[in-house]
Amino acid sequence: MTPPRLATRLLHLFCAPHRLDELEGDLDELFQQRVEQVGLREARWRYIKDVLSLLRPSLLKQQETSNYNQPEYRTTYSLSPAMILNYVKIAWRNLTRNKAFSIINVAGLALGMACSLLILLWVQDERHVDSFHANGQHLYQVYERQYFDGKVYASYFTQGVLADELKRSIPDVQYASSLEWPVSTTFEAGNKINKLSGTFAGADFFRMFSYPFLQGTPETALSQPAGIAISRKMAEQFFGSPDKAIGKSIRYENKEDLQITAVFEDLPVNSSVQFDFLRPWTDFIKENDWAKTWGSTDPVTYVQLRPDGAGRPADALRVEAKIKDLIYKYVPKNKGFLVELGLQPYSEKYLHSNFKNGQLDGGRIDYVRLFSIVAVFILLIACINFMNLATARSAKRAKEVGVRKVVGAARSALMGQFIGEAMLLTTISMAIALLLVALLLPAFNTLTGKLLTIPYNEPIYWAILLGLLVLTSFVAGSYPALFLSSLNPIRVLKSSIRFSSGTTFFRQGLVVFQFGLSVLLIVGTIVIYRQMNYMQTKNLGYNRENLIYIPIEGDLAQKYDLFKEEADRTTGVLAVSRMRESPTGIGHHVDDISWSGKDPNLRTAFANTVVGYDFVKTLNLQLKEGRDFSSNFGTDSLSFLINETALAKIGYQHPIGKPLDWGGYHGKIIGVLKDFHFNSMRQAIEPLIIRLEKQSRWGTILVRAESSKVKEVISNLEKLSKELNPKTPFTYQFSDQEYANLYRSELVVSQLTNSFALLAIFISCLGLFGLATFTAEQRTKEIGVRKVLGASVTSVVALLSTDFLKLVLLAILLASPIAWWAMTNWLEGYMYKIDIEWWMFALAGLLAIVIALLTISFQSIKAALMNPVTSLRSE
Amino acid sequence: MKGTYLGEFEEVVLLAVAIRSGDAYGATVVTEIEQQMNRSVNLGAVHSALNRLGEKGLVTSELGGMTAERGGRRKRLYSVTAAGRRALQEIRQVRNQMWESIPTTVWT
Repeated sequence: MTPPRLATRLLHLFCAPHRLDELEGDLDELFQQRVEQVGLREARWRYIKDVLSLLRPSLLKQQETSNYNQPEYRTTYSLSPAMILNYVKIAWRNLTRNKAFSIINVAGLALGMACSLLILLWVQDERHVDSFHANGQHLYQVYERQYFDGKVYASYFTQGVLADELKRSIPDVQYASSLEWPVSTTFEAGNKINKLSGTFAGADFFRMFSYPFLQGTPETALSQPAGIAISRKMAEQFFGSPDKAIGKSIRYENKEDLQITAVFEDLPVNSSVQFDFLRPWTDFIKENDWAKTWGSTDPVTYVQLRPDGAGRPADALRVEAKIKDLIYKYVPKNKGFLVELGLQPYSEKYLHSNFKNGQLDGGRIDYVRLFSIVAVFILLIACINFMNLATARSAKRAKEVGVRKVVGAARSALMGQFIGEAMLLTTISMAIALLLVALLLPAFNTLTGKLLTIPYNEPIYWAILLGLLVLTSFVAGSYPALFLSSLNPIRVLKSSIRFSSGTTFFRQGLVVFQFGLSVLLIVGTIVIYRQMNYMQTKNLGYNRENLIYIPIEGDLAQKYDLFKEEADRTTGVLAVSRMRESPTGIGHHVDDISWSGKDPNLRTAFANTVVGYDFVKTLNLQLKEGRDFSSNFGTDSLSFLINETALAKIGYQHPIGKPLDWGGYHGKIIGVLKDFHFNSMRQAIEPLIIRLEKQSRWGTILVRAESSKVKEVISNLEKLSKELNPKTPFTYQFSDQEYANLYRSELVVSQLTNSFALLAIFISCLGLFGLATFTAEQRTKEIGVRKVLGASVTSVVALLSTDFLKLVLLAILLASPIAWWAMTNWLEGYMYKIDIEWWMFALAGLLAIVIALLTISFQSIKAALMNPVTSLRSE
Repeated sequence: MKGTYLGEFEEVVLLAVAIRSGDAYGATVVTEIEQQMNRSVNLGAVHSALNRLGEKGLVTSELGGMTAERGGRRKRLYSVTAAGRRALQEIRQVRNQMWESIPTTVWT
């Protein structure tokens, strides 16, 4: 039966001290009365109301009106200006007296905060990709989930006719558009020839996505045959300005002239789709028969759902249920192969783009999460340094605490003082951190390939900084504040402070935690590095050294045979071939493959590509049996090469010469290739079927060069290209470079983890160094006595080091299983991966031990070498 | 004297102090008013009124002794001054005068 404590506290906070006693008495008496009269609940309620009613200016006046409380007896409040000045003075003296500790603290916190800020900027940026579209909440990307062979796969590849069909048959779909994958293309206007990247999109594309227009309108930009919408950059390159470009004609791949129907603003960096021009989808279909069928998939499909009457976004789940089985209208449904359509909010696509067992499962969001956690960890490690050093050195502050308590400091005042000191230190660190961020940002941008800036103008940024400041000072300052303010003044003033085992345990726990985190990060670094290395150097099944790619553009499409003939004759060229994509990006899938004895219900997607003669020879692929495409065997136009995975699917015992049917082509198998990687290591090798085609409008020319003559070959090829294809600039790429680009984001992650692990271990060592310094100082006398009694330098060093080494060892033991679990999880994203081996943990542990030893040894050797006379004399 | 005007609530508080004379402090004044007028009163309002009455010189106060039922806290005891008594009487007189001036026909 007590009055509400919160209300009492409120009264204490605001009420004039000389009236407090009397008012509280009144409140209490009324409360007791009311409990009897109207019950506890009502009494408490009335109590609160009374307290609130007492908070009026006339009752809060600090002025003394009576004489019982003389001014000379007034207490100094802990928040009076004099005391605040005193706190600041003491804090400053402490900082400057222990320069080493202050520097360790400030450096650790500044590094930690700088790192967290950089990560925060990066995370913010990642989260804002694709968030600028006005219709964002209505936009969805379609994905297809396929069931076959008892497995589920999903991907963004869709049919070229899907967009129109969705818009026609589903009333909820307001707009729909396909989008092909951007390719580098040559344009010519006036006397300028340039290569730009772009692709084909449906007429609705610009209605759905908010890319600002400079010329033309979003509605008509992609509706005119042989039209093209170009970016400001492209317009300026060819015509000088957007208004001069509109309506002009521009030559495309030296094949046809297109009329510029619109000019749009250059795409913002935070758009996940990037292109410099778009051509109408109707033109794409004219050139690509497969895009009219339901059997082939390649482009992506976007839809905009119609909002309901009140403008609220449509229910995507309901629409998804409607479109799920749409495909079966056109493709017979059978048990072996099912295709379902799914919708993903467009704004989520950038961060969530991996599929696992047919469900969306992470993507870049994993890295966003990973780095957010790393940021917190690093900041935590820096905070722990502060806590550890502050408590360890509390012996020096204990007397001060004792005196303050004796003259009447309340515990809360002391806690306020210590947290305030932490805040002072954090503020200094924050200033340095901001400076560091400003300095490091350009390098960080180069590493991550972003255009991050410090948003000085946004209040939210400052609010976040302030939040970070307060949070850090509370985390760092809370434990020292709690610990120091709890000291018993009598014990502290009478004798020197003895740490209870609990305090020591806590401090040691913090060191273990710190080093555990560092070990975790080191193991992560090793595993990620090894996996990167594995992917970069793994035998892909073809030789990617000295393999040159030349895009088929302009006149090369017609003159390929001539080019091959000439190139074959060039010295240093071992073989020349051609394929529709590049060996690392076979994305086309077909499901209309059949063979004799095929289960009529079985439908399987085959990756496929179309190549020229000498394909196997040029790539150095291994033939399991059979032969390469070759002009020696007359026409090979009805011959197929398949890979082992495809053979396993088909099931022929002796495949060579067996019939195989691909769409309209009734041919036979001429060779079986050993499996090779033509996709990311994240995916399993798919069944692959390869067909010969003599003419191709696009694709890549593959040239295998002799390793010693690569430079020569390139200059010869350039000459040849200029001769045959004068209207197109000669470009080429090395296969291994292109392959490395495939893992660019992984490489960035790997480099970032490297830096973070380094930082984490560095900050941990700062703390350890501080602790070692402190222990050595504490045990000066002990070491002196030991030395007098005959201890050797080594034994003293060992004595000082073992304590810390035990902690580091414990950290390794605790962190290893967690690291193993985390890295196993990470590796699960890869179909082809390294094994996690014991030596990785051993190496990480060894590194941690060596680094810790080096850190401690400086102090312990210094202490061990000290002359006992000096250390024992001083008292 | 700051002003002679006496508000309705001030009058009630002053009356309560007079009723409880000798034992008039915050809590008793509140209970007295609540009992007499059958309405709930905030302690803050009472103390504020007492303050004003003190400034007008209608009540004086002194700190009384500690009592156990208040957890050993002291109470401030109020008593009506001569000026306070006069003010109350004046109000009563004015009221009476006005009552008498009401024509009897009004009520019928």
